[in-house]
Amino acid sequence: MSAGLDNLKHVVVLMMENRAFDHMLGALRAADPRINGLVGNEANPDTTNEPAQVAPLAEFQSQLDPDPDHSFPAVQKQLFFGTPGPPAAPEMQGFVQSYWDQQHNVAHSRKIMYYFAQGKLPVLHGLAQNYALFNGWFASIPGPTVCNRAFAHYGTSFGQVNLDIFYVKDAGESIYERMLAAGHSTKLYYFDPSSSTQEVVNLLKNQPQIFATYQQFLDDCRNGALPDYSFVEPNYSDHPGDDGGELLASDQHPDHDVQAGEVFIASIYNAIRQNPDLWRSTALLITYDEHGGIYDHVPPPACIPDGYHAPLTDTNNMPFAFDRLGVRVPSILVSPWVAKATVVPGPEDPANGRVFEHASIPATITQHFIGNYDNRTPREKAAQTFLDLLTDVMRPDSDCPAFSFD
Amino acid sequence: MPHSPVIHVPKPARSSYQPQRPLSRSTLLQSQVKHFRDLEKDLPLDQQTGIAIDSIITEAQAAEYIRRMTNRFHRPPGGA
Repeated sequence: MSAGLDNLKHVVVLMMENRAFDHMLGALRAADPRINGLVGNEANPDTTNEPAQVAPLAEFQSQLDPDPDHSFPAVQKQLFFGTPGPPAAPEMQGFVQSYWDQQHNVAHSRKIMYYFAQGKLPVLHGLAQNYALFNGWFASIPGPTVCNRAFAHYGTSFGQVNLDIFYVKDAGESIYERMLAAGHSTKLYYFDPSSSTQEVVNLLKNQPQIFATYQQFLDDCRNGALPDYSFVEPNYSDHPGDDGGELLASDQHPDHDVQAGEVFIASIYNAIRQNPDLWRSTALLITYDEHGGIYDHVPPPACIPDGYHAPLTDTNNMPFAFDRLGVRVPSILVSPWVAKATVVPGPEDPANGRVFEHASIPATITQHFIGNYDNRTPREKAAQTFLDLLTDVMRPDSDCPAFSFD
Repeated sequence: MPHSPVIHVPKPARSSYQPQRPLSRSTLLQSQVKHFRDLEKDLPLDQQTGIAIDSIITEAQAAEYIRRMTNRFHRPPGGA
């Protein structure tokens, strides 16, 4: 066991919304060829059959409006356009065609290929270049938010591939129930009551004691009261605060401002970073629930099924046995025990590559805090865990950035 | 955090704040409202909000409904 793992007392997971790996991090390949981002000539055909090439022209807001379709049927088009469909390998050629379906506007549909220029996202790019970046972290399902977030809590979505309420089946226990039963502390921090949580039925209704707010998270960090495991949700809506002030959505879901999400990520990092005891004993994972319909060039790989089959009414009659992953998303592991500029290889490296997905979250938390635990899906049992990235060497403050705000 | 290299984080534009953004533009927020409505149906009548979710047409209105419903189940210390 590494010294970093020996010192680990807290794991914090921050799950943002709806951005693909290449869209957010693809530009970093130019500076570090180990990062499986964009070369610059990747393209999708538009509806006039002209190639729409990737371009570093992504803006913080007002570019991906309407919200790109990322329902299960739309994502299948994004993955399999130009192929016979599964079990053929996805070719990632249908993103522009899929976005065109929403407005029938060729010029607008090509914007789904845009990505952020290097340095335009100082927080996400800074963390990726200072800590551990995963080349192969994928959404759990080629579909939307709720079912993907379910994998982070349960290691399964209980057969659902859409935004409907999901119901716990087969006595599945959330990672929070597991932690409490094993005598560990855990919290799910939502931003505020007006933003609340995206996991309402199973968790907020039945386990209200595990919830707290973002303000409580900041207080817990300051007071050294952070639980063993924390899951943090961003602000999902623009709404007035209790004092009448303006609270910007920080989830980065299109068409919310990406810069507001940058501020939020930085505030979570700084809250941990500013407490020296917490900083040396905490690992922070920043990830995104799914790609939001936005282009990524890496075909999602197959995975161990979780034992469910999606209703054909939800999949446009395409059989789906939860045996392949969704589109790749940005994921970064932050800790002073992570070697600077670690790049965890993904499918681009057949010999050493590792594939992560959101079931890796409960799998990792269970492995570290609980140990043997059988009441979970085969999918979660097979999922890669990520705490082996903590090393024996704690980096000094002078090697770990801090964020300052306007 | 003495001696740490500092990365500056720009502030979002004031114009980013759009609480009147139509709810119809976000399937995620629409589904969140529906989820809370599903919870609300099981509450006693005197604990329901009386809000018809079909009347919710902006992001801020959705946030207000979600706030009232969240407080039915979880009231954070010192929270609204």
